[in-house]
Amino acid sequence: MADSPSTAYARPRPFVTTLNKPHWDALREHRLSMQRCDDCGHVRFPPGPWCTECHSRASTWTDLSGRATLNSFVVFHRAYFAAFDDAVPYNVAEVTLAEGPRLLADVVGVANEALRGGMDLEVVYDDVADDLTLARFRPVGGP
Amino acid sequence: MSWELGDRTAVCGIGQSAYGRSLGRSAIDLAADAIGNAATDAGLTPADIDGMVVTFGSPLGADADTLAQTLGLDLRFYNQTWAHGRFTATAVQHAALAVAAGMADVVACLAAVSFSARVRRPRPPQPAGTPKRPKLGGSSDAEGAREGGGGHGEDPVYGMTSPGAGAALVAQKYFDRYGATSAQLAEVPVAFRAHASLNDDAIMREPLTIEDHQSSRLVCAPLHLFDYCLVNDGAAAILVTTAERARDLAQPAVTLAAWEPLPAGRREFIWSYPGFGIAQQQDTDYRAPGPSEGIYGRAGVDRGDIDALFTYDAFSIVAWLALERWGYCEPGEAAEFTTGGRIGPGGELPMNTHGGLLSEAHVMGWNHQIEIVRQLRGQAGPRQVPGAQHIQWANVYGDSIIYRAAGRG
Repeated sequence: MADSPSTAYARPRPFVTTLNKPHWDALREHRLSMQRCDDCGHVRFPPGPWCTECHSRASTWTDLSGRATLNSFVVFHRAYFAAFDDAVPYNVAEVTLAEGPRLLADVVGVANEALRGGMDLEVVYDDVADDLTLARFRPVGGP
Repeated sequence: MSWELGDRTAVCGIGQSAYGRSLGRSAIDLAADAIGNAATDAGLTPADIDGMVVTFGSPLGADADTLAQTLGLDLRFYNQTWAHGRFTATAVQHAALAVAAGMADVVACLAAVSFSARVRRPRPPQPAGTPKRPKLGGSSDAEGAREGGGGHGEDPVYGMTSPGAGAALVAQKYFDRYGATSAQLAEVPVAFRAHASLNDDAIMREPLTIEDHQSSRLVCAPLHLFDYCLVNDGAAAILVTTAERARDLAQPAVTLAAWEPLPAGRREFIWSYPGFGIAQQQDTDYRAPGPSEGIYGRAGVDRGDIDALFTYDAFSIVAWLALERWGYCEPGEAAEFTTGGRIGPGGELPMNTHGGLLSEAHVMGWNHQIEIVRQLRGQAGPRQVPGAQHIQWANVYGDSIIYRAAGRG
């Protein structure tokens, strides 16, 4: 998909807001970045105006390791979006990042039948359009 | 905690429209049947209704203010949740609070939906071979398109769409965590279909087998077609008033013995209980309320006194998690619990005796409230749970109501 110009990228785009724009901007630079609380150190996601643990408003966008484990996953056999017709059956994964938060993404480089809960994953960055990069995950040591 | 509202409020009337895949009628038209039939059932007229809570408004359902104007109701109190199915108990609780506080005398609680009207909207001609799109999810995924994503985990960027996908995520984790299987999960829709076979109002009445379930197509794996509820047209309503007034009306009163409100926060995900580890939930042990704790204590009952259990069964898997959340079995034991006919007709703990969303109809849980009231009045016909005195509406997402048969005044 990396060869698709932005005007041709037909899949749904993220709802970018003042809160989550730094996350999407970091992905463009191939960084996985989330807010770390300056007071208690908690890393939170989705992005929010204060810490979900201590409610401090002080936080710093921090690059994460990109390491994760597969918490759960689904495989879509039905084409809900026309832009996903050629992808069915496709997986969607919920990963638990090493730093704690869970993130919805997908797993590449492995057959859907080989997905296993708990498997070790690492982030890859997919420039799907001129102005959009998605975080995907692959098995550690995979292709 | 002190509990002063026990048995002070009651359901005095129940009413429904026809249920069907495509009735060819508007949601407001269907709502009139449900409200009118509920008023007649109670021995009232629509003019007696002065409050309303709607749980599923436009674009798929009828809105409360429009209903009031179109049906000529003079409402002192109304409220409406966003178009989402989880708010059944919330609506009943708000209605009960309203009548207890004197804000209204008789509150109609309802949803009226016409999914078929929505999909009949004109569309440009499609090329041959274009896949048929579902009625929920995809380009109509209003949940997933909002700020922060959808309430069922929708994230259309990755093609994660439709309420069922979030339930599938929970099912996969459940299977991994406890070694349960899809064939075991099939016991839930099979049992609910067996109930529905005794219900002339149910859309799906023909027997369903484990094999039928296993051979049905995968929609969002690991969930099969028969793990999904129906998407249909229909309306259902109940009338809530004070217990004192209910005793003077036409039907045996069914009181609200106790309730538990709907929680939210990072401990919660709609299709799993705290500690299950989906979305931002912690992945820890979960402890259910003890048999006389919480809602059971407030209702003055033991969990063993509950004669039947009703739950919002949008997807089969959430029936398992509801059983575990409310302590009917331990986490990981629901797969075993639901085998052997325990939740089916004549079982030890009948669940959703009308067939639920999975087999009767999807009316946002209002058809469940109607069936609970029928059971506690002794009006459930071939599905009657003998001597039913207490029935619990209890959901995976943490809200509940214990209804009690209060009889005639």
